[in-house]
Amino acid sequence: MNPSINVEQLNSALTSLRTLRSSVSQVFEALSNGLRADHGEDGKEKFLLELQELLNNVNINLRDLEQTTNGLPIPTGSFNLGNTTYLSQETTQDRQALYTQLVNSYKWTDKVHEYSSFAHSILSQNSLRRSYANSGSTKRRGKLQSNHNVPPGQVDNVINTIDRSYTDMKITISRPYASNAVVQISLGHVLKAVVAFKGLLMEWVMVKGYGETLDLWNESRHNVFRKVTENAHAAMLHFYSPTLPELAVRSFMTWLHSYVNLFSEACKRCGCHLHHTSLLPPAWRDFRTLEPFHDECKQ
Amino acid sequence: MGVTVLQQFPVPENKTGTYVIEMLSKRILALGATQQGQFLVDCESYLSHPQMGTTKTVHILHNSEQPASVFSILESGNKNIHVIADGLFDLFMIKLSQHYTSKKQTKIESKGPRFELGDFCIKLGSVTMNQSFKGILIEVEYRPCVTANAVWGLLREFLQGLLGSSTVIQPPQHLKNRMSEIYTPIDTVHQYLELFSAYRKTTALRVQ
Ligand SMILES: [Zn+2]
Repeated sequence: MNPSINVEQLNSALTSLRTLRSSVSQVFEALSNGLRADHGEDGKEKFLLELQELLNNVNINLRDLEQTTNGLPIPTGSFNLGNTTYLSQETTQDRQALYTQLVNSYKWTDKVHEYSSFAHSILSQNSLRRSYANSGSTKRRGKLQSNHNVPPGQVDNVINTIDRSYTDMKITISRPYASNAVVQISLGHVLKAVVAFKGLLMEWVMVKGYGETLDLWNESRHNVFRKVTENAHAAMLHFYSPTLPELAVRSFMTWLHSYVNLFSEACKRCGCHLHHTSLLPPAWRDFRTLEPFHDECKQ
Repeated sequence: MGVTVLQQFPVPENKTGTYVIEMLSKRILALGATQQGQFLVDCESYLSHPQMGTTKTVHILHNSEQPASVFSILESGNKNIHVIADGLFDLFMIKLSQHYTSKKQTKIESKGPRFELGDFCIKLGSVTMNQSFKGILIEVEYRPCVTANAVWGLLREFLQGLLGSSTVIQPPQHLKNRMSEIYTPIDTVHQYLELFSAYRKTTALRVQ
């Protein structure tokens, strides 16, 4: 084994991670319970204080976690199996299974290492602009208003304008959950989609087939629409723009409309309708050119 | 339901139907499909009595994919009229035996294994009439799409991949005028009737 790894240090890092997680879930629990009887007369203020206390705990625990992880050595590459490889020669019957388990967990850590290094390089570019924090100059920020809190009439206007610009895409708005819009889209005889809005920001998409019943949470029974849903989530994040929410919605709808040829158009790269392993039609649309590609062919 | 194409598969000169079904099953399983039971489509035709005027033919079909339905198609001049009813319709036909007689010797069916592969459903049917083997019908359904013109290129590509790139694949006669309409189960039944009628006209092939 790598001698530089200190098991105790690793253990305390894991413990602080667990503490952080439980303090975060306490926040959500308190939030979902809302005001309780024992908050008494001026419950609102007590509730806010309680919440603040819990958030403080989260902050403290997060700092703890950061401290302990900073102390950990960074694994440079893949781990060496060392003496444990001799387990493959184990003769005792009840221990023979250990070696396969060892190999599996080795493969798993190797994968985690690989994925986390990818994730690290992507996240460090901060390509997902989900906050106002770095959205341009401070001058412009002064004029900003929250896009989570837009009057329903304005949302309706934006969506109805988009609806009128397509003849083969019908968009209808409903508000089953208080003031936030849930938008149903039906695109030719090809697909249906439902998008949940928070103000003018898109929060959730679900894409289904023409003959399926539409709701926010159940996935399509067809592989191809599950793939399109996955890609629609990526598109929603890609077009996300806290400063120009209207443009984000319009770009997303333009992108979604390009699925009108989901079954009829072949992949621009390999020229086939079906990908030879996934047997899916080109379920990806380029963000800029809107050209169809298989997931496997898009790069 | 999605768009379905029914395709005849030629049985090579010195091979049996069982051999061809096995070969195709292996090919489909190698693509990663799973077998999901068996299927059966059958058809019985009835002739109206001469005293009722011009003789008319009624075809009664069942499809195991829609087990609660009975499909009936009345040949009336150039036009076919269809009715989709529930299982009681079979008893109704018995009641009508005074006016419509069954041509028992032409009762024909296609049955065999049913496979699911991604969003496709594939059925390999041996066609038999009066216990004699008539040929092989391959049914391919692409379930996510509901209009034939949108998915035709995709289906042809799939069928050519399965049956060999030299196979010529044409849209079935029945679908040609309905390529942009929403596909329904009766469209599959019409395709079966078209090919069953063609088989009835041929003399029996070799043994199964
Ligand atoms: Zn491709």
